[in-house]
Amino acid sequence: MADVREEFVNALADLDEAKTIELTKRRVEAGEDPFAILEDVRKATDIIGKRFEEGRYFVSDLIMAGEILKQIMDIVKPLIGEKDGEKKGKVVIGTVEGDVHDIGKNIVIALLEAEGFEVVDLGVDQPPEAFVNAIKEHNPDVVGLSGLLTEAIESMKKTVEAIKEAGLRDRVKIIIGGGRTDEEAKEYVGADDWADDAAVGVRKIKALMGVE
Amino acid sequence: MSAEELMKERLERIETVLKGKEPDRVPVTGATTVWHGRYAGYTAKEVLFDYEKSKDAALKVARDFDFDTFTPIIGLEGMIYTVAFLNQPEISSAARFILGPTHLVLQDVYSRWPGYELDENAHPQFIGKEIMKVDEYDQLIENPLEFINKVVMPRINKKLADVGSAEYNAALTKYGLELARFGAFMAELSMEMAKIGYPTIPMSWAYAPLDLIGDFLRDIKNIVLDLFRVPEKVKDAVEAVKPLIIKAAEISAPPVEVRKQLFGTDVVECFYPLHLNEYLNPKLYSEFYWPSLNDIFHKVAEMGQVNFVLFEGKHDAHLETLLEAPKKKVVGVFEKTDPRKVREVLGDHVILVSGPPNSLLIGGTPQKVEEYMKSLLEDCKEGGMMIWPGVDGGISRDAKPENVKAMVDAVKKYGKY
Repeated sequence: MADVREEFVNALADLDEAKTIELTKRRVEAGEDPFAILEDVRKATDIIGKRFEEGRYFVSDLIMAGEILKQIMDIVKPLIGEKDGEKKGKVVIGTVEGDVHDIGKNIVIALLEAEGFEVVDLGVDQPPEAFVNAIKEHNPDVVGLSGLLTEAIESMKKTVEAIKEAGLRDRVKIIIGGGRTDEEAKEYVGADDWADDAAVGVRKIKALMGVE
Repeated sequence: MSAEELMKERLERIETVLKGKEPDRVPVTGATTVWHGRYAGYTAKEVLFDYEKSKDAALKVARDFDFDTFTPIIGLEGMIYTVAFLNQPEISSAARFILGPTHLVLQDVYSRWPGYELDENAHPQFIGKEIMKVDEYDQLIENPLEFINKVVMPRINKKLADVGSAEYNAALTKYGLELARFGAFMAELSMEMAKIGYPTIPMSWAYAPLDLIGDFLRDIKNIVLDLFRVPEKVKDAVEAVKPLIIKAAEISAPPVEVRKQLFGTDVVECFYPLHLNEYLNPKLYSEFYWPSLNDIFHKVAEMGQVNFVLFEGKHDAHLETLLEAPKKKVVGVFEKTDPRKVREVLGDHVILVSGPPNSLLIGGTPQKVEEYMKSLLEDCKEGGMMIWPGVDGGISRDAKPENVKAMVDAVKKYGKY
């Protein structure tokens, strides 16, 4: 069994789509504990993130990884049902008002879910109130404000202000994410951190939660 | 200085850089989609749908700020239309951008606009869509122009879905009228700009072949998956659309006599925004993206044009490939690649364009902007460069006017040779 597990982790980390899916099916058919499969998915996702940060993988590789992860989840999730296992933490994420882009956000969600986090996806073009309400309802550890446009920076600022006004700022960590975010934007918005690519975003979200 | 003298000085400054030399000082070329509107008190919707207001706002900015050129880019990517109309040069060239009014007429499925799908002050957005299915690559490869016209255009444009219907005929006719109206606006703006000493640089249109397929046919996510799943099909498709893009670059450039007579210059900037460059790992980039793009760079240079390329995102991993491009025939606007690194790797092989990022123009102070510009110009201006503020799509809607002013002042102070 150890061999299959290692083979699976390597195939996924190397983004070998056909082999990963075949191995997933084989493991499920062999009656393996789905949580063991998920544990291996986390291991492989971690390797993928590291390779990205080392400059070996690029966005193209994260897109492929997200696609493979989605297929694995489609096979494994029905086996787990409601007893979802212990979650490492909860993230509310959405694209801010005035921006309808979601490629980056969706990669982050795929990676976070693969790593065992619970993610509430608010969708795109979400006004500050939507984030405020989601914090009240879901009580997340981290809130992710996503946006591609430079105009999203202003919306992120307004969203952080609305969270402050609602008295919720101390209850959550806030990260802004998107191609045009940087230190300057983070300061202006009043967020706790920023990320201009998905793998770094996932690492920083984990750091904000104090999770390894 | 008279408007005429100013015009001559600014034009000469830009021409000198485009020819790979150092002028009297670094030129600063402003461009924006909606910032001019915000500055002049108009909504985004107003400056994108009402050309009079856009012209009024652009002229106000040009008068109040001392740029070397100022261009409102009030459209979204629409290169697929330029390619579709390739056999009608005058339509092809005018069709380069999806405009607010043409969006209303054709109802394209790619874009979202303020006052319609978005809030009236939102920035317009190109979202894209999967138009061509993966099993249709062969049709594209066999006859790309026919496939784009017969299959793609009716799928992109809701009003062209029913070919030959009354709605279809009316929409195409209205589209032609809108293009003419836009052309008249651009000509008029250029004339009004000249009256206050602002030159207009003639432009032509090209695109990276893989971006054409990614942006307009398969969408970004699918094109990336195709590179892993059906690499040979993608390669053949890239080769199939490449000649169309070369032809587009050729026919969209105003002829030399027209350039001299209308614009007072013989240079022409062939414009490309690159999109997948940052996404691709070096292996995919050098296999699927770079060879065809480099071929086009060389062809365009042979036509006597200068390639004017927006290297969106981080181009760091692919910088060295640019040494294969025609020397001093590529002007590169680098969005997130450190311009110092560009100089270090490429020297003067590529003509460098850089500038302050929008985050600084939005969240910074005039003092911070000045420091940024001083350092940038001192480190990079040697050999000739240009400043393009807000290095992605131009100046952001929320850029503070005092920061933009500080940027222009800093160019005058630290950009002299």
